[in-house]
Amino acid sequence: MEEAKNNSGQNLGIAALITAIITFVMAVIPCVGMIAIIPGIIAIVLAAIGLSQAQRSDSPRGVIMAGLIIGVIATMISFSQYFVAGKFAKKFDKDNWPARIEEIMNDVQDNVIRDLEDANVSIKVEDGDEKVEINVGTGKSDKKKILEELEGADSTKNVSITIRK
Amino acid sequence: MNKRAWLNEPYLIINFVLAGVIMLIMIYSGIFSPDKDDYPVVCIHEKLTGEPCVSCGLSHSFSLIIRGRIDEAYEWNKYGMRIFLFFAGQLFIRFVFSVIYANHPDSRNQLIIYDIIGSSALFLIVFMPFLIWIIKFS
Repeated sequence: MEEAKNNSGQNLGIAALITAIITFVMAVIPCVGMIAIIPGIIAIVLAAIGLSQAQRSDSPRGVIMAGLIIGVIATMISFSQYFVAGKFAKKFDKDNWPARIEEIMNDVQDNVIRDLEDANVSIKVEDGDEKVEINVGTGKSDKKKILEELEGADSTKNVSITIRK
Repeated sequence: MNKRAWLNEPYLIINFVLAGVIMLIMIYSGIFSPDKDDYPVVCIHEKLTGEPCVSCGLSHSFSLIIRGRIDEAYEWNKYGMRIFLFFAGQLFIRFVFSVIYANHPDSRNQLIIYDIIGSSALFLIVFMPFLIWIIKFS
């Protein structure tokens, strides 16, 4: 009976220490770090109850204190994972995706306009024997074409659209 | 040392429980297949932020190591091998230290101190990339 009284709180201390060690390992792994806060709190509670029992019966407190200290540190690391997730999300700017899509769309639009600026557009409409052809070009492009012909190169862009009924 | 005496030693109880937890991790890695990708534990960090973290792919890596596919394990998580070796080493240490503890009552305090210092140092070395990652973003 005396031995049982002296070991009061020891079992809770062992449980707290084991939980705290597992929590510590979990807390440093980012994938499961955030949920480690739950066993961390359990470890602290177990250690606190064990400590109060040990104080009442004046039994050894080494294991209980170890469980409490490791549990508190592990819970703090686990708690810090929430800040890590917050900073991470901010870094990759996940909330601002509509603005990023608009930016990409503007880039694409600018590229298309730049390409069409130098292009000759030819539209042909054929209906049996009848044939209509519309040619659209810029003076800038014609001058460039003449210049390229003089230089012996031909890299003018031609776009041909044919519509058949 | 009889069965009753084993149960009265906190160090031995802690060792056996931790060994059991490590064995559960090994069983988990063995049961779930990396090819089927049916792991019940998902990365909460990735779920929240949308970006993979430094420990993503660890379950795949462990499963592949157990199946002997080491090269693929490195592709899933480059720290998977060292963490797996840490757990395997801890499993071995728990059993060996328990036997030494039971057979040499005079050197129990020394053994516990060596265990605490050695395991803590190993833990810091193995998990250092994860700790650096946490410090970097917190």
